[in-house]
Amino acid sequence: MSKIICSAAIRGAHKIVGTAEAKCEAALKKWGPVQELGFPNTTYYLPIIYGILGIPVKTLGDAKGVLDKCKELLPAQVSDNVWLPYLAPALEAGMATFFAEEIVEAIRYLEEPNCYTQGENPLPDNIWLGAADDVIMRKRGVEFVDGTAPGFAAILGAAPTSEIAAKIAIELQEKNLYVFMCADHEGKTMSEQLVEAGVQIGWPTRLVSFGPSYTATVFAMGFATRAAMSFGGVKPGDFAANLHYNKDRIFAFAMPLGTVIDEWYANAAGAINWGFPTIADTPIPEILPTGICTYEHVVSNIPHDQIVARAIEVRGLKVTISKVDIPMSYGPAFEGERIRKDDLYFECGGGRTLGVELTVSKDMSEVEDGKIEMVGPDLDQIKEGAKLPFAMLIEVAGRQMQPDFEPILERQVHHLVNYVQGIMHIGQRNIMWIRVGKAAVEKGLLLKHLGKVMHAKYHQDFGNIIDKVQIKIYTDEERVKEILEMAKKVYRQRDKRVEGMTDETEETYYSCTLCQSFAPSHVCIITPERTGMCGAYNWLDCKVSFEINPTGPNQPIEKGECIDPAMGQWKGITDFVFKASRQKIEQVSAYSLMNFPMTACGCFECVATILPMCNGIMVVSRDFMGMTPCGMKFTTLAGMVGGGNQTPGFLGVSKHYICSRKFLIAEGGLKRVVWLPKMLKEEIAERIKPICEEMGIPNFPEMIADDTIGTTEEEILPFLEEKGHPALTMDPLM
Amino acid sequence: MAVEIPKVAYAGKIKEIPLGREGNTITVGGESCYPFHLFEGAMPHPPKIAMEVYDRAPEDWPDTALEPFADVAGDPAAWARKCIDTYGAEMIALQLASTDPNAENIPADEAAAITKKVSDAVDVPLIVFGTSNVDKDTEVLKAVCEACEGKNLIIGPLSEGNYRAIGATAIGYKHTVMASTPIDINLAKQLNILLGNLNVPDDKIIIDPTTGALGYGLEYCYSVMERIRMAALVQEDERLQFPILANLAKEVWKIKEVKLSETEAPLLGDQKKRGILMEAMTAQCVLLAGADILVMRHPEAINLVKESIQDLMIRGEG
Repeated sequence: MSKIICSAAIRGAHKIVGTAEAKCEAALKKWGPVQELGFPNTTYYLPIIYGILGIPVKTLGDAKGVLDKCKELLPAQVSDNVWLPYLAPALEAGMATFFAEEIVEAIRYLEEPNCYTQGENPLPDNIWLGAADDVIMRKRGVEFVDGTAPGFAAILGAAPTSEIAAKIAIELQEKNLYVFMCADHEGKTMSEQLVEAGVQIGWPTRLVSFGPSYTATVFAMGFATRAAMSFGGVKPGDFAANLHYNKDRIFAFAMPLGTVIDEWYANAAGAINWGFPTIADTPIPEILPTGICTYEHVVSNIPHDQIVARAIEVRGLKVTISKVDIPMSYGPAFEGERIRKDDLYFECGGGRTLGVELTVSKDMSEVEDGKIEMVGPDLDQIKEGAKLPFAMLIEVAGRQMQPDFEPILERQVHHLVNYVQGIMHIGQRNIMWIRVGKAAVEKGLLLKHLGKVMHAKYHQDFGNIIDKVQIKIYTDEERVKEILEMAKKVYRQRDKRVEGMTDETEETYYSCTLCQSFAPSHVCIITPERTGMCGAYNWLDCKVSFEINPTGPNQPIEKGECIDPAMGQWKGITDFVFKASRQKIEQVSAYSLMNFPMTACGCFECVATILPMCNGIMVVSRDFMGMTPCGMKFTTLAGMVGGGNQTPGFLGVSKHYICSRKFLIAEGGLKRVVWLPKMLKEEIAERIKPICEEMGIPNFPEMIADDTIGTTEEEILPFLEEKGHPALTMDPLM
Repeated sequence: MAVEIPKVAYAGKIKEIPLGREGNTITVGGESCYPFHLFEGAMPHPPKIAMEVYDRAPEDWPDTALEPFADVAGDPAAWARKCIDTYGAEMIALQLASTDPNAENIPADEAAAITKKVSDAVDVPLIVFGTSNVDKDTEVLKAVCEACEGKNLIIGPLSEGNYRAIGATAIGYKHTVMASTPIDINLAKQLNILLGNLNVPDDKIIIDPTTGALGYGLEYCYSVMERIRMAALVQEDERLQFPILANLAKEVWKIKEVKLSETEAPLLGDQKKRGILMEAMTAQCVLLAGADILVMRHPEAINLVKESIQDLMIRGEG
């Protein structure tokens, strides 16, 4: 922690505790130790002292006792020639500061009972509201808990002009934050500036004028401390729980406007205990490493037009957007909508013109949230039936964002754009195809609105990983070509990354227990090379799903020590499945059909089973209705596999897994496959090519029998013999 | 040779939740075995029945259901009193039907005032239902929480869309919440996790897994309830170890089998008896699935179910 800041904070704390002592002494002389002391209408006494120390201050005598504690807490002044880490002493000085300030404010209530209005609104002759009583705290505190108000900005001092003050206040209001104001800068206060600018202040507008002195900061901190006790079930005196509650749940920060004096430093150091960082408009030293606060502790010299955005970023506050603001209806109901030729106004991509969509992650500083750039003609500038090249580049930034998430986010474009009434979206990447209907254009829909859709939905659905989204939409051929080239490069990298990802390279696999509602003991284990059997979830999907919903059905599992590499058994996986299957499944193999095969729910794409006579394995997909060589149709087989039971010889698999290098390697892998429905064989032919080549049997697909050859073992065996299928000479399956 | 009945080994226990205001609480939950398997474990608190009260005179009820309350319909406080004084209700379930935006759509503060009046008139635990309209319920139930501070009401339904707003208010004013999900064990568990994350105390949560009427999908609701109880008791699923509520009366009394008169449907027999039995049978089913609180309407149906509970509590031991 910056030595300059620490020394200033400790100096400030000494001054403030000194002031409090003097005031307390004077008050004791005047009223004696049994004089009642406190804030009005609260059962939390002096809330910071009560919440942190557990001491209910009821009298002046009690206050004296707390001040003695403050002196114990106060560290020695920082010496010029010692370079120690001063973090802990500064934080303690900050605590002592708040205790002392609460006592100062309490004595003020005693000395001048009418110093604060004690209501929700300012009075004509007094704009200072003072401590929030319990009625206000509970009513407003609910908003902090339910998220309608994510937190507050504690502003000390004043902006250079009333106009700037008003602008900052309005910007904070737009983010639904409360603004708690106190202290003056060169005799001016933010509260007075707002009144001057004609802005209505008071609790109802969330612009709260606590008090003219910096000691009124304790009203903001006391509010937070009480919220933890009232809504967090935190017991008085349980300081660790109280501070954690505030760090994790109350998105507050301090914003000193104007010269930061020692006393302000002391208050800022105190606020860091609560996890509330400081964002200053003056060039004070910065404290950037993460530690007590979620991200940086002190960020300074921020211009007034950026200070709110920066504060939100530093505190890690998420933007919430409740509505997609476009002139059309929006929702899943419009996903399947078709735009026929007769209704068509505009189309792009789909082989008709160049078309590309790309989502990439950027550094936080490179993305301006909500910015939508449109280059080239939009729908209101073209004639009916026009075709234009199209590129949509979505740039996202987030503290939790990882490049691995880009393809997952990009894949959402398809359904998110399709949700717009009057738009049809097909495909993805550079094979995307958009059609816009006449009715939509009549209602004023523009391509630019797709940017609004993506901005709103990315925030709504992926708020946990994304902090900022900006969108660039191009219909200008040159720009589209540029994006296309860039996209191709990105796609290549991504494909390489996915291909290069093997079960050996990753230490963490994921569970999927989404289907436990109807198969209570079923647990899917998803590895990079074995996707979920439903075909809907691959390893990366699970990784993202976990980031978005940490308590959801996709949990990371450390695979741990490998028990059997051929079977695909790991200690960590075994333990997890045993527990998650409610002790029903004691062992599971990721790569075997015969030994401890993975259980299935009911929504597998295909079923694999053995054909004993052929010494091989057949796989049948859900869409094949006919008879299969094992004597059962898909529907009958599905009954054998599903329901969370382990049935050796029967296994639910995804199409993707058939094409994996890890496909049933315990039984010999792809080489064992003797029968597939023709439609499935054709579907995966391209994808299994490289594996066949690696096996040294490039013409292997031709050796696999299908329903045109036969649907009984007797019918297909001569074919296999004729082709010299490798399964016939492999070790017996059973 | 005597037959040895195999016993289930239970690992979990349902949380005990005190309902109603301090000094006058009724506790639900606490089971350490499947419903009425008293030879395997304990049911320290037999299931309770809450009698329905509506905030307005019902218009769509069959006469057979309205008849016992005809003299008090339209005065919810008097209605609640009658349920307690005449029919011995253990709890009251106030249905704020007129807050429905598709009906009278009365404002939140009016609904809160009605609730306050009812809660002042009764000393038994009071359940308060909105109309399952996410936004309106938020407004209404927040106002109800504020107006009835200290009464420890059971309020709901809380759904994924409004659990934060209502849950936070309930914490502030110390009420119990009903976590409501549409017939799905995963969603039920998820909502309980979310409520926990919000810091709603564990002794302030009741599960409402949604129920249907006999003949209208009851078996599916039964299975989900049963699965919740199994997960809680034998699979140590900590986030499902809460008492279950079944809001069944309004489901039963809207189906055609209770509404058709004997002349319209002579094959179905006596209309009054039919309705009572439909309600009692529905209740009996969810009772066996694991419900701890039954929201019921007709006094005669309630008597049948009460008798059955008493019976099961004795015979279950044997």
